Amino acid sequence: MAVKQMEDLVQNGLDRAVELMAVAAHNSFRFENRNSIKMIAVGKEELEQIAEFCFSLGDMSPLAARDGRHVMQLIKEPCSLLIIGDKRKSDFNYNCGACGYRTCAEMNKADEVESLTARGPSCQFKNINLNIAINAAASAAHRLGLHCRVFSTLGFSALAMNIIEDVDLCVSVSVSAAKKNPYFDRHEFWTKEHWDETFNKEFPTYNRGFIGAVE
Amino acid sequence: MERSIKQYEEDRIAAVRVASLLILASGTTSPRVGGVGECTIHIIDDPCDIEDLCQEMERMSAIKKSWEFYSRDAAMLRDADAVLIATSLRCVNDPADINCNMCGKLTCEYLKAEEKLPDEPDVAFRGPLCVFRANNISYAIDGMISQARNLGIDYGVYWSAGAAAMRMRILPRDTGFALAVAVSVTEKSPFRDIPKRYAEINQRSMNDRMIKRLWPQFRSIYS
Repeated sequence: MAVKQMEDLVQNGLDRAVELMAVAAHNSFRFENRNSIKMIAVGKEELEQIAEFCFSLGDMSPLAARDGRHVMQLIKEPCSLLIIGDKRKSDFNYNCGACGYRTCAEMNKADEVESLTARGPSCQFKNINLNIAINAAASAAHRLGLHCRVFSTLGFSALAMNIIEDVDLCVSVSVSAAKKNPYFDRHEFWTKEHWDETFNKEFPTYNRGFIGAVE
Repeated sequence: MERSIKQYEEDRIAAVRVASLLILASGTTSPRVGGVGECTIHIIDDPCDIEDLCQEMERMSAIKKSWEFYSRDAAMLRDADAVLIATSLRCVNDPADINCNMCGKLTCEYLKAEEKLPDEPDVAFRGPLCVFRANNISYAIDGMISQARNLGIDYGVYWSAGAAAMRMRILPRDTGFALAVAVSVTEKSPFRDIPKRYAEINQRSMNDRMIKRLWPQFRSIYS
């Protein structure tokens, strides 16, 4: 039998695992059996574009910028991103009111509002179905032993960049076969200066002894 | 009832209690976007409490045509051994402030300024809710489903029971959205293979009409 090298084993295993995650997402529970999600998996090339887009949002969203920096590190090791999206309009006819309209028909007729992150207003149950699929994919990744984290920021970016088409809402599951879990305790992405600057900007009262004091 | 069968029945109910706690644990530790806690999970395993919930669902089924299936759900839930209700506590009063536009308002400030639907019988959830916050409930629900599957326990997911529980005011005050997972430790899942007209024709109604009603007549005639 031919010897397979570790890099090939890990990369091939990762590719297969993403397919199995897709199956888990595709077959997950959903209200009314509405299997209307769209799903794609992207590799390092698209991830790099997504990272640059996220990073460009730095002024608007420190969170997106942080995730962009993180993805640039992530793509140095085997990784993939499963992107799942769905349309925003309701086909349930539940008339539940969660979207702010009394009936599904009213919500479906309402003016569409475009933005970089999603197109609204959207049906709450469409969102629930979409996010259950996301959780099922993440759960499959966890069981397959992959490092995994769910990212709204990367999903929003994929939507804004039309990497996934014909959807209004989008969330992503990022998976990695890095040598250590790259998704949590990401302290290495902060320099002390940048951390202090961001912290002081976001939490100005934290270091202030008396809240009433004005500098 | 034979002693051994009675013992089995008691153990089955004990198994439901243990399983419900483990399902609650899995739902609680499932991910939350933003990492902010906002979901609670409530176990209803007393048959009288489940019956109260089913009756509220039946009342709601009469409110509008699109909710007629509530009574079918109620018939299923009567066979459940426990109902777990997951809530979202921040979707009404505490939008995520990330301006995601999923609710159709470009910024969260617009959503805060928007008037909520009135507290009227035909409104199940008083939207517009913060969709980003309410989405956390999907993770809680899938965490619960995932655990139920691991434990080999039958489950069904119902929004009707969540809406009814909110209406009964048995959930936390800030609840804006709620979904229910019903679980059953029985040999045949009461949540699958559901015939048409299940609200009228089910094991209870069939038992009532075909056994309880006929038995006295049979006894009178053949005694």
